[in-house]
Order: sequence, then structure tokens, then C-alpha cells
Amino acid sequence: MRAQTADRIATGFFYAGAGVVVLILAGLIGYILYHGASSIDWAFITSPPGGLAAGGGIGPQIFNSFYLLFLTMFITIPIGLLAGIYLAEFAKPGKVTEAIRLSIETLTSLPSIVVGLFGLLIFVNYTGWGYTLMSGALALTVINLPMMVRISEEAIRNVPMELREGSLALGATQWQTICKVVLPSAFLSIMTGIIITSGRVFGEAAALLFTAGMSSPPLNFTNLDITSPASPWNPFRPAETLAVHIWKVNSESLIPDVRRVADGSAAILILVVLFFNISARWLGRRIHNKLTGQ
Amino acid sequence: MPMSTRQSFDRQLMDLQQHILRMASFVEKAIYDSVESLAKQNTDLARGVIENDDSIDELYNDIEYTIIKIIATQQPIAKDLRLAVSGLKIIMSLERMGDFAVDIAKVTLRLSGQRLIKPLVKIHEMAHLAQRMVKDGLDAYVNLDEAKARKMCSYDDDVDYYFREVFEELIEFMKKDPTSIEQATSLLLVCRYLERIADYATNIGEEVVFLITGYWEEMN
Amino acid sequence: MALAKFDIQNLNLYYGNMQALKDIHFDIKPQHITALIGPSGCGKSTFLRTLNRMNDLIAGVRLEGSILLDGQDIYQPDEDVVNLRKRVGMVFQRPNPFPMSVYDNIAYGPRIHGLKDKRKLDQIVEQSLKAAALWEEIKDRLHRSALSLSGGQQQRLCVARLLAVEPEVLLMDEPTSALDPISTIKVEELITELKNQYTIVIVTHNMQQAARVSDTTAFFLNGELVESGHTEGIFTMPRDKRTEDYITGRFG
Repeated sequence: MRAQTADRIATGFFYAGAGVVVLILAGLIGYILYHGASSIDWAFITSPPGGLAAGGGIGPQIFNSFYLLFLTMFITIPIGLLAGIYLAEFAKPGKVTEAIRLSIETLTSLPSIVVGLFGLLIFVNYTGWGYTLMSGALALTVINLPMMVRISEEAIRNVPMELREGSLALGATQWQTICKVVLPSAFLSIMTGIIITSGRVFGEAAALLFTAGMSSPPLNFTNLDITSPASPWNPFRPAETLAVHIWKVNSESLIPDVRRVADGSAAILILVVLFFNISARWLGRRIHNKLTGQ
Repeated sequence: MPMSTRQSFDRQLMDLQQHILRMASFVEKAIYDSVESLAKQNTDLARGVIENDDSIDELYNDIEYTIIKIIATQQPIAKDLRLAVSGLKIIMSLERMGDFAVDIAKVTLRLSGQRLIKPLVKIHEMAHLAQRMVKDGLDAYVNLDEAKARKMCSYDDDVDYYFREVFEELIEFMKKDPTSIEQATSLLLVCRYLERIADYATNIGEEVVFLITGYWEEMN
Repeated sequence: MALAKFDIQNLNLYYGNMQALKDIHFDIKPQHITALIGPSGCGKSTFLRTLNRMNDLIAGVRLEGSILLDGQDIYQPDEDVVNLRKRVGMVFQRPNPFPMSVYDNIAYGPRIHGLKDKRKLDQIVEQSLKAAALWEEIKDRLHRSALSLSGGQQQRLCVARLLAVEPEVLLMDEPTSALDPISTIKVEELITELKNQYTIVIVTHNMQQAARVSDTTAFFLNGELVESGHTEGIFTMPRDKRTEDYITGRFG
């Protein structure tokens, strides 16, 4: 009897643990959405912040978040992929490979605020750009590159050796094999990893405080001149993102409707991150179906 | 009927059957020619029978080797195995029958120059029946025809009947005319050879029934 | 007498310090099926992989001796390995179709060797599938994923994929060991038909398969080539006692 009782108690604890996690998540999301949902309307999403007056929106910030995400990924993905391919396909066990792995592990554990300061030093001051989207993108690259490399390497390693052998045995070169067999097979896994990373990039704040900045110039969407500071497409302009805006509104802002803006922004942020994660799961299921040939 | 998935093996089995049929046709001819040579006292024909027996023996060796090869390389089971094994026993019977035909031809040579004491009517009948048995037996083998195999075996009774009749006739001859003893005993031997040929042909029939049913039945 | 397709002399192969193949001398005849048999770990797969240099993919492999293909040493320093593998193709133990459509699987080989003409590719796909006795079964499913085929069909697909690059030699490493009995027989029939055009070397741990399918059989034991010769001779009257013990199952 004792063993069975112990078993039941333990099972109870397992369920409880899972339950606590779910409760926390549900509570968090529920709280934010509850408080912020009422603030969300079309005007809120598209109009610029109010400066000192009430009634402002977060339009430019949303745009900046997405544009920054795009830029960051544009830099991170190719580098991460190439490094991942190298580690998975070409690296031989040895001191150099060990050193590379050590660097990657270390980069993963850097606090993002520290990376932000580093970014301030190099990408803002040293280069003379000032606060720009590009500085933010580069700082975020530093933070997310290790994850990207790891995702790519994992995904490529998971492609069975037999597929490579099959390709090589037909007279393909290693490069052809990688391009035409390995990467397509690993593609969906990599895609899932990218989407999860995007969710994290979208929500990053600390590293952007001193790199992308806390202000955003008035944006004229019809201005297609990339070099003009008023063009939203110019990557060399300050760009406050949504997450940074939440911080600023809550700490420095003088607008009277702080709660409305902050809660609404938080709700939007959570919704976007949720969307990214759910898409990743859906994509993951599609991988499974494709690989089992349905 | 769906295409067999073991076509190369099926081809080997068909080739084997063709070879056995060929050997059987040689033996049929040997039986016919040996008795013809005796009836017509044609010593050339008799010598031909004796020489052609080498071909029969050669075929026997080839087919035996082929069957062993099939057993070693194709691991036949069920009907395929019975086909291979009965094939072996059939060619053994055929080879013995060929040897008896040679013995008959040798009698022809021994009796050459002598006048036959009687026309060989019943002996001809026996030979004809024996030939028929060989042909039907091999037909039954190739077509897996159980009824034919059994019917063919029943001819052995007819051969035995003729044998007894000729035996008595020849004994009568010998009693009446002692100078005929030498020839009569040779003719008796020929009858005996033909009776043995028929027995071996019956063996073929028994093999075919075994092949089809998996059971061994004595049908002599 | 025809020139040997492969002429192997003094072949020794080492994985690091361990010797996997010991002093192998062997000829592989063209348009013949040669079977390599032997217990697990005897070196037959290793030997097979020397013929298309797939052993190069393993770190620490060292090879001595010579392997001549049509008289040319395939291990000379400037040998074009990619071209070698086009001439000497391989089918593996577990079917390994690429996660693409049937069509793309078969067109893969010709495409990587530069062929782009769609009509020619269509032709090659059809011919290869016919040669692999698979055309009738899947001609309506060319653009479905290759992974949706049954195991036996996948393996025949791998053979078709190989035939599409027009090799001279087909190496098969236990090609039916992952298949059910009916698929196994279908693949064996296919191999027998292909013999007329290709030189085939097949590694199998199934002796009955070697007996059914091959013209020449070679018995490997502990890295040595113990005996080789006409298959019917090996299976009716082997010369070496070790061979006899192995094929009659009295091993160990």
C-alpha cells in the first residue's frame, strides 16, 4: 500500500507543478489582455504617440518593431545558417571547434543590457551613427546569433546520414548535397527555430534602450527616399520599438493616459508573441506530417 | 493470373521439364527402335540403339546436375521441391529403361541371321504399350494430370497379361521343338525386358501422383 | 575471357589501428552478379564501400593496395571521386529516398550532373522507373512524396534513382534486409534482370539470397577473402572447410 500511496502523491505533485505553470501563464496573459484589450482600436494602432497630450497611439512603434525584426533577421539568419552549416558538416573535433563552441555558449549567457551598452559604445558612438535601427539590429544580432547557430546546427545534424550518403553515392559534391538535400530537409526545423527567435526579438527591450533609441521621428509613409530622416524605411534613424515604448511610458512619460497606452501596448506585444509561437507549433506539426510522408 | 515474382526460377523449372521431356523422347525412340530391329532383324538399327544410349546417359548426368544445382541455389520447397525430387527419380527410371532397350538390341544382334520362330505380334503390342506408358507418363508429369498418371499405370496390367501369354506360348514352343530353345529363351528375355520397362514406366506414374498429391501410392 | 571490371590487388584497409581488410585479391567480372557473404563484421560491407570510395567519408581510414576499375586505379591522388560515384552507384540497406516527389528523386541525379531539359528528364524518369519495374505501379503518382511509398517500392525507387545516372556498376549493401519477403523477391528479380546491362556486386547476410541471385560468390571472414568462385560450386562443393561450416550454418 505504501508504494501505491507514494505513487499517487507523487503524481499529484506532477499535476500540480504543471497546473501552476499553466495558471501563471494564463494569469499573466489574461491580466494583460483584460486590461489592455479595451485600449486597442484602429486609431491606437496607427496613430503616433501623443507627446504630452492624451489620445496618442503606437503606430510608429509597431512599425519600428516589425522593421527592426526584419532587419535583425536579415543579418542574423544568413550568418547563423552559415555558421550552423560549418559546425554540422565541416567542423572536425579539435581545439578550434571547441573554441568556437565556447564563444557561442558565452554569448548566449550575456545579459541583454550589457549587450545594449556594448552596442552604444560601438554601433552608436564609435560609428557615429547615433541611435539608429541599424545599431539596434546589430545589437540584437549579437544576442540572437548564438541561438540561430544552434538551431541551424541542430536542424542540420538531425538530417539522417543516409540521405547524405544517398546523394553522395549518386555523384553529388558535398556542396550540392547540402544545398539540395540537407537544407531542404532541415528547412522546416530551421523555420520553426526562426519563428521562435522572432518572438524573442520582437519583445526585446533592454538592448534597444541605448541603440535604437527611445524616440521616433514623425514618419511619412509616402517618403521612399531611404536616406531621408523622415522616411520610415531609412535604417539609419532612431526607432523606438513597442517594448521600449512600454518602458518609457511607464517611467518617464508625462502623458495623462499612461495606463491606457501602456496596457494597450503590452496587450499588442503579447498578442504578437503568442501569434509567433502558435505559428511555430503549427509549422512543427506540418514538418512532422511531411517527413512521415502524408 | 498475376505474373510470378520468381520468373527466373520458373524459367529454370520449365527448362528442366523440357530437358526431361527430351530424355523421355530419346528413350521412347530407343524402345521402339530396339523392338523394330528385332522384328525386322535390322542389325544396323540395333547398333544405333546401343550407341545412342550414350546420349541418354549424358542427358541423365546433365539433368541430375541441373536438379542438384536448383536444390542448392533456389531452396525449393512444397511443390517445387517435389518437382525437383520426382524429376530426379523419373530420370533414373528413364535411364534404366534406356538400358533395357539396349539389352533388347543386343538380343537382335545375337539372333542375327536366324529365322524368327514366330512373328512377334504380342511382343510388338508390349513394346507399343510401354512406349505409350512413357509418353503418357511424361505428359502427366508436365501437365500435372493425376487421372492420366493413374490410367497409364493401369496399362501395366495389360503388359503383364501379354507377358504371361507369351511366356506360356514360348514354353510350348520349346517343349515341341527343342532346337528353338536358344531363340525362345532370348525372346523370353526380351519379354522380360519389356515387362521391366513397363514397371519402370509405372514408377514414373507413381512419381507424378506423389508430385500432385504429396502421397505415395503403390500402383504396380 | 573478358577483362575484369574491378581488379583488386593486395587490398588492406585500416580504421585507425584496427585492420578491417587483409590482403584481398579479387576480380569482379562485368555483366555478372557477384555476391559477398560472411558473418557480421567480416568486412564485406567495408570492402564494398572501397569500390566507390564511400569509405573516404569515415575519419581515420587508411587504405593500401590497388583497386583498378577498367584498368585505372581509383585511389590515385587526382582521381575524380564525383565521377567515380556516377559510374559506380550504390543502393543502401535501408531505403533512403529524398523527401521530395518521386519525379524529383529520380531527376536528382541527372540534374546535379547538369541536365535541365524537361523533356529529357521526363524520358529518363520514365525509363528508369520502367527498368526498376516500378513504372506501372506509380506512373500516376510521380509528383507525390516518395515517402508515401511502401518499403519495397522505396527501395526500387532508390534503384531507379541510381539507374537514372547511367552507372556501369551497381553496388548493393544488403538491399533487401529491411524488406518483407514479397518485396525481397521482387527486388531479387529486378537484380537478375539488370545483370545484362550492369555489373552488380551485392552484399548480403542472407545466404539463400546469394545462392538464388548471384553468378559468383565470395566468402569473407575476419577481413579475409576465404574463398570465391561460381555460386553453384560454392554451394554444392565449397573447397574450404570454413566456407562449408558457414554456409551450412555450423558456424560458431
